[in-house]
Amino acid sequence: MWLCVYLPALPLEALIDTPEPAAVFEEQQGIRKILLANASARAAGIGPGLTINAALALFSALRLDERNPVREARVLKDLAEWSEKFTSFVCVEAPSVLLLEIAGSLTLFGGIRTLRQRIVRELDSQGFHAGVAIAPTPLAATWLARAGRKVCIRDPGNLAGRLRTLPVTCLGWPDSITALLKGMGITSVGEALRLPRQGFAKRFGAGRLLDLDRALGRLPDPRVSYRMPERFIADYDLNEEESDAGLLLNICQELLARLERFLLSRQLAVQNIDFSFFHLQMPATGLSIGCVQADRAVQHWFDLLEIKFARLALPAPVIAIQLCAGQGQQFTAKSGMLQFEGQHKKQQSTSIAQLAERLSARIGDELVHGVMAVAEHRPQYAWQPRSNFEDIPHCANVSSWQVSAHSPGLLAEAHRTNSLVLQRPLWVLQEPELLVVESGVPHYQGPLKLLKGPERIETGWWDDDGIARDYYVAVNPAGVHLWVYRNRDKDRNRWFLHGKFG
Amino acid sequence: MSDALENLLTNPRIWRGQARTEDPGWQGLASGYPKLDQHLPGGGWPQNALTEILLDHYGTGELQLLMPALAKLSQPQNDQKDGREAGWIAWIAPPFEPYPPALKQWGVNLSRILIVRPRGGKEALWAAEQALISGNCAAVLLWSNELDDVASRRLQLAAGAGQSWAIAFRSLRALSQPSAAALRIRLDAGKQGTDLGILKSRGGRPAVVQDYAG
Repeated sequence: MWLCVYLPALPLEALIDTPEPAAVFEEQQGIRKILLANASARAAGIGPGLTINAALALFSALRLDERNPVREARVLKDLAEWSEKFTSFVCVEAPSVLLLEIAGSLTLFGGIRTLRQRIVRELDSQGFHAGVAIAPTPLAATWLARAGRKVCIRDPGNLAGRLRTLPVTCLGWPDSITALLKGMGITSVGEALRLPRQGFAKRFGAGRLLDLDRALGRLPDPRVSYRMPERFIADYDLNEEESDAGLLLNICQELLARLERFLLSRQLAVQNIDFSFFHLQMPATGLSIGCVQADRAVQHWFDLLEIKFARLALPAPVIAIQLCAGQGQQFTAKSGMLQFEGQHKKQQSTSIAQLAERLSARIGDELVHGVMAVAEHRPQYAWQPRSNFEDIPHCANVSSWQVSAHSPGLLAEAHRTNSLVLQRPLWVLQEPELLVVESGVPHYQGPLKLLKGPERIETGWWDDDGIARDYYVAVNPAGVHLWVYRNRDKDRNRWFLHGKFG
Repeated sequence: MSDALENLLTNPRIWRGQARTEDPGWQGLASGYPKLDQHLPGGGWPQNALTEILLDHYGTGELQLLMPALAKLSQPQNDQKDGREAGWIAWIAPPFEPYPPALKQWGVNLSRILIVRPRGGKEALWAAEQALISGNCAAVLLWSNELDDVASRRLQLAAGAGQSWAIAFRSLRALSQPSAAALRIRLDAGKQGTDLGILKSRGGRPAVVQDYAG
C-alpha cells in the first residue's frame, strides 16, 4: 500500500515563505519566465508563463527568486526524514514526489483515513501544499497524486478502472511522447492500454510499456528506501552578511533543534559537534564543542555554545552557518531518582560531567581533569589524569595505596612501621627542580635539614626510564617540609626537589 | 529572658563580647584536629561558607590541615540520617600537582577529585564560582592572587547558594585587606609544627593554636 505525496509547488515553497506577492522564475531559451507564483501574486494577475518584465509591470513590488534545484532536493530530503516517523520505508522520487509504504503503519496511526489526514495537516503546517493519493502500486499512486485525484484505492482489482480515466499528461513521460499520443488521438491511460502491446513498445519504447504494467501491478516494482545519512550536517544561509551575536546564536539554536530531531529519530546521541561560520571574503571560522557524555538535548549544547561563542572573535560578518555532528552513539537515557515531598535534599540541577563541560568549554579540554593512582614504584608515574568522571570501581581488599604496590615484604614493613617507609608529599612538582648545593648541603630558600631517609627507589630499568634515587624528607629554615632526592647513578650528588608536604 | 531575645542571641551574626556562645546554632565539619576544633564555633569548619587560609610558603601544612575533612566529604556517608552521596572536591589553579598516592593515604576518594587549571586569575575565580553554584562540589579549593573583597563576597554567596565549602588560599599580604570569609586563618611554621592563627571567625573569637596537629 503506497501513499504518494506530490508537491506541485515545491520550487516556490522551498524558496519563499512569505504571504507577500512572490514568484519563482526559470530561464527558458534565454527568456526568464514565471514558473510559479504564490496566492497573493496570483491575485494580482501573475501566473506561470508570464515573462518577468510583464509580471513586474503588473506588480512592481513583486519578490522574484530564481528556481534553485539544489535547495528543492534538500527540502525534499528533509521532508523524507520528517516522514520517517510514519513509516520505515520512504522513497524519494525527484523532483517532487515522496512515496511512503504505509501498509505496516495503519494500525499504529489508527487507520488509513486518520493517517492521511495527519500527513496532509502536518505538511500544511510546514507550509507545503501536497496532493496525496493512495494505491497498491507506487506508480499508480504517483500518477493519481499528480493528476490531483484524492483517491484511496485499497483493492488491486479496482486499480485498472481508476487508472483508465487518468490523462496521459500526468504520467511524467517526455513531452514528445505525450504529443505523439495526442496526435494519435490518445489522451487517457485507458486508451493507451487498448493499443496493441507490440506496436506500443515499438513506437514509444519498451520502458513505457513496462511503466503501464508496473502501475497496474502486472509486474513487480521494487523501490529503494531512503537511507538517512549516518552523520548530521545542516546549514543555514543568511540573506545578507550578519555580525549580530544574538541573531547568529538564534540560528545556531535552530540548527541544534534540527540536530535534536535527527538524533531523536535515530535513537542516537553525539559527543562532539562543529559549527562553521562562513564569511564572504575570509576563510570560514570553526567552532568545535565536545561534551563528556554523549547528549542530544538542545539546551545543553546551547549552553556550551554560548560560553564558547562569547570568546570567539569572528573576523568578518557571517553569510552562512553550518553544523556538523560527530559520530552518533547509542543513546542510553538515565532514569532520575524518585523525589518525595518534604524531602529537603538539595536538588542537583547539573551533573559533575556537565560542570566539567562548562569549565572546559571556557578553559580548555586538557585543563579540566580528574586523577587516578597507578600501581607503580616510580613516583612520577604513580598517577595519571583521567578525563571521564565515572566512579572508579572499588577493588575488593584494596584499601590503601600500599596494597597496590605489589611487594609483600615491603607491605608488611609498611604496616609495621606505619607510614614511615612510604611517606608521600601532598604536592609534587611537575618536573623535579635542581637544588643549589653549597658545601655539600642542598639549599631551597636556605640550607635544608634532612629529617627522614633515605628511602631508596631503584626501578624501571626495563623501559629506558629507570631511576635510582635516595629520597629524603627535609625541612628548610622557613619550616617547609620538602621531599628531595639525590641521584645514585648519573650526576651523583645532584639534589632535586620533587615535592612539598603541604 | 524573653523568647525573642533568646532567638536573637542565637543568630550567628550576633557576636557577644563577654561569653563565648557554646552553641552557635550550626554544626561545623570536624577538622580532625581536636586542638583546632575547640576554637572553632560549631566544633569544626564552617559549612556553606568561605574559609580563607593565609600563608607565605606552600608546604607549611596547609593541605594536611584540610585532609581529614576532605577525606570525610569525599566518601559516601550511609550511616547518617541524611545519607548524602560522596562529594566532589574541586581543585582550582593548584600551584603544584596534588599527588594522588598521598591523597589516598589520607583516605581521600580519588574518583571524586576534579582538577581545573585556568589560564588566568579571572578565569580561576569564574571557575570557582561555577563549581560552587553548581551544587555538585562538596568543597572547592582555590588558589588565587586576584581574590579581593568583591570576589570573596561573591564566593561566600556562591558557597551558600550551592551548599558547598569554599576554601581560598592567599598570601599573607592579604592580611590587611577586608574579606567576607566566614573564617580566616593564617599559618606559620613554628618550632614544633605549624602554628595556626584564627584571625576572624564568624560566631567565634580570634585565637592562636600552636602546632595544631600535635
